[in-house]
Amino acid sequence: MGRDAATVGDDETVRLTEYTELHGCSCKVGQSDLDSLLADAGLTGDSDALLFGVGEDAAARKLTDELALVSTVDFFTPIVDDPYDFGRVAACNAASDAFATGAVENVDCLVVLGLPRELTDSAAAILAGMADALDAMDGVIAGGHTIMSPWPFAGGAISATARPDALLTSQGASPDDRLYLTKPLGTQPAMGATRVTDEQFVETVTDATDRPLDRIASEAVAWMTTPNRDAALACREYATAATDITGFGLAGQSRVVADRSKVGIELTHLPVIAGTPALSTLFGYGLTDGESAETSGGLFVSVPPTATGPVESALDDAGVFYRAVGRVTDENGVTLDDPTIEEVRR
Amino acid sequence: MPRVDVRGEICPRPALIVRQALSDLDAGETLVVRGDYPPAEENLRRMCTTHGIDVMTAETAVETDEFELELKVTEMASLSEA
Repeated sequence: MGRDAATVGDDETVRLTEYTELHGCSCKVGQSDLDSLLADAGLTGDSDALLFGVGEDAAARKLTDELALVSTVDFFTPIVDDPYDFGRVAACNAASDAFATGAVENVDCLVVLGLPRELTDSAAAILAGMADALDAMDGVIAGGHTIMSPWPFAGGAISATARPDALLTSQGASPDDRLYLTKPLGTQPAMGATRVTDEQFVETVTDATDRPLDRIASEAVAWMTTPNRDAALACREYATAATDITGFGLAGQSRVVADRSKVGIELTHLPVIAGTPALSTLFGYGLTDGESAETSGGLFVSVPPTATGPVESALDDAGVFYRAVGRVTDENGVTLDDPTIEEVRR
Repeated sequence: MPRVDVRGEICPRPALIVRQALSDLDAGETLVVRGDYPPAEENLRRMCTTHGIDVMTAETAVETDEFELELKVTEMASLSEA
């Protein structure tokens, strides 16, 4: 497999996002549709064979008292045009579900890849991107399966391990815990802007923000290709609950944690990629309400108030971006009342 | 009543098309929008609320995901400044 991005990811004529109607996490089945599907299939109960499974970011099986195997699968349609970048985002996004459980060791990825005939030349670059991303997570590509498909998609089945007592779910948040987010939000408006290429609207989108659109997009790609492994390693010792921010957005993932931990969540601060709030307003994406879909977003972790110092030190030491974004309450549901919006530049 | 059809359009184009059509209208006028992608409906509703456009009625056909919105420009509309 080719590993040189300059040679394999350089085909300017290919725009992956033109081959699909729904981009990145927009292709995800909605939360309520998924709940109905699982209920219809009778897949709502916990399995005795697993530590946790359906409803969590990944499944975990206790192999020995010292070792749990975490597995998950995630794939989606292109959110970026460059095949190499798409591979990197797809790998980071897939592995993120394992990292959200605190499983960061022995990371293997089985590639799931589908491409239309016109895009088969992009396969090597997508795989190279995935391989490089896995490399950066101390993981490996262990195999995979590739099919022809009218819509392109890529991702992987990830397995990773951790000590069973180190694992995290969305169920452990307690009132008064503090909430941290380890990447800024805004990937959906950042990438949406890049899809507006026709003369009719380019100026409207360009004029919406004082930052160059390609700068906003390149920062979004940089965040989407940042693995959550270092964040997970730094947080897992202190966190009471964790998930990663994906297609349901910060508010949606907060609702999942609130429901499963039987607590309330109050969001007070939203870090966003600089320039994306204005784009979100233009597109109606709801970024500043936490409703905008994210791709390969950060970890969202709850930490007891006594552990905020140590967890912040650990994240600082690991060089991981983080912001305190709210707290856990003894009420229910998610509140987001005039949060501060912090525009983050890389 | 002016109409726009954003069926088959890919996000974020529906919001841009509707925004442009609305900017041609005066306060009190109504635009009818037909679409076929549920997240686009949410985005259009949000975009309108933010810009002082009333979303008056909606029809949705669950089987086809098609929707129709009536968007009324209010005195508070602020599309030109967006």
